[in-house]
Amino acid sequence: MARESNKLNLQASSLITRSFILLFIIFMAIFILGPLFWLAARAFVTSWTFPNLLPDGLTLEWWRVITGDESLKKAIRNSLIISPIVVLAASVICLPAAYAFARYKFFGRKTFLIGMFAANAFPKIGLFAAIATLYYTLNLMGTVLGVIIIQLLGTIIFMTWIPAAAFAAVPQSLEDAARDAGASKFRVFRDITLRLAMPGILVGMVMSFLHAFDEAQGTYLVGVPTIYTMPTLMYALVLNYPAQIAAVFSILLTIPSIILIGIARKHILGGQLAEGFQIK
Amino acid sequence: MSLPPVLVLLGFIGVPIVLAFAFSLGHTSGPNEIISLIGQEIYEKDSWWGTLDAYRAVFQDSRFGPDLRTTLAVTFIATFLVVVMALGMGIYQRIVGGKLAMVMISLSLVPLFVPVVIAAFAIRTFYDGNGFLKSLLYHFGIDFPTITMTTNAITIGTIWTSLPFAILMVSSGLQSIPDALIETAQDAGASFLRIVRTIMIPLAFVPIVIAITFTAIGIMGSFTVPYFLGANQPTMLGVEIALFFGPYNRPQLSVVMAFVIFIAASLVAVLYVWANVRSAKQSGRI
Repeated sequence: MARESNKLNLQASSLITRSFILLFIIFMAIFILGPLFWLAARAFVTSWTFPNLLPDGLTLEWWRVITGDESLKKAIRNSLIISPIVVLAASVICLPAAYAFARYKFFGRKTFLIGMFAANAFPKIGLFAAIATLYYTLNLMGTVLGVIIIQLLGTIIFMTWIPAAAFAAVPQSLEDAARDAGASKFRVFRDITLRLAMPGILVGMVMSFLHAFDEAQGTYLVGVPTIYTMPTLMYALVLNYPAQIAAVFSILLTIPSIILIGIARKHILGGQLAEGFQIK
Repeated sequence: MSLPPVLVLLGFIGVPIVLAFAFSLGHTSGPNEIISLIGQEIYEKDSWWGTLDAYRAVFQDSRFGPDLRTTLAVTFIATFLVVVMALGMGIYQRIVGGKLAMVMISLSLVPLFVPVVIAAFAIRTFYDGNGFLKSLLYHFGIDFPTITMTTNAITIGTIWTSLPFAILMVSSGLQSIPDALIETAQDAGASFLRIVRTIMIPLAFVPIVIAITFTAIGIMGSFTVPYFLGANQPTMLGVEIALFFGPYNRPQLSVVMAFVIFIAASLVAVLYVWANVRSAKQSGRI
């Protein structure tokens, strides 16, 4: 982080450098925020004629359309139910493994870690096509369980790697000291290991939630037409509805992400995410 | 204890990939039977190990060459630009620091909040025929080109979505370099570029390689961004896989394309494993 102590005096403060950096920031601001504002503005306008820089009129009509539409409400409900289940399942499946990866040296440990990475290297869309074959055989097509499994696949890497790095960072000596002082094994785990690793676990959960919540390709292939989530409905919206509706929906779809990243921002910036992606 | 996630991955990634590989070689019986019945243009095996006919068909398809070139070009250019941007910002933050650096880093993390579908749609409207840039420059008498539906738009979109991860990796790598090292080099009269080249990049080598590999692999297999932003032809292979599997009903050929991307991604992945092993050796963990 940009703490004061990190400031090194390297003649970078000349006027030319400063204005160059300012220009770069303005470029980045337009590059990154421009498209978002340009889209979000559409949620509140009647229409927008080229090449005017201002819209033709303002309205909240599109919001009423969205709140009145049953299929949209259903998609929101599906998303808000399925994604937390996915995060919960990922936690139950992955956290014990993360602990094992961090604390024990066992046969095949490195192979497993690299295997997870390799699974990530296979193109997702190709994988979903391959999974569809298996799903037909297992009768998982169009079921909630099928969607949960599809979304779960992408979260495993976050839920294992990031908490594993966090568990590994808890000093063994602290645990030993607590044991010497007479704390039970469970108590040491709950009060020391788990507590110190909590930021990493939190980042893992946030990343998993976002991944599950945003997952569209696989959910589309497996869930549609019985189960629509917010992102898969977005595909249909973008192609079939006026841009204003898609804009309203975009804002709704972005809210959970903003809240969650707001909570975990400090830890994500603090290196918990980056730490998890190095095999140790 | 580590078995559950491994089992899930084996069951729902490993098994499908093995089945898909068998399918691509023309093994159409067993679990592949249903898909072989539904799909068209299926090449069946003519020897015990299978046949390469499906691969031959894909490589002879006139669309495949341009698609593969587009995929590799977008991956290469976008990854290069993303890493250069991440390095630039990371180094600036590390050496100069302060409020401006903080603003810059926070700005570049915004795409992490935004679902890819929305990002692609937003970028599409922004660079469209009646998008912001075109509207703005119109008032200055400049006819700005419409970027949406070109390969350039795909590159812009992938850079947009890949930036936060690369920046997090690179900047945390640079942050962990001790001040003392950089200060000593400065006192000894090393120039800025020399400090970057001989101290910062080597010491943050592993995070940089991780940023490169994950960015490249992510871009190579991407679907949503090229689907919304790219031209119909040529496009990236991710889109083509979806089209061949769905609308064209050529599942075997789509699986073959997935393996082509997988091979390319594996080559990048080797870089990641090599860098990790190298750093583990240096710190005496192996």
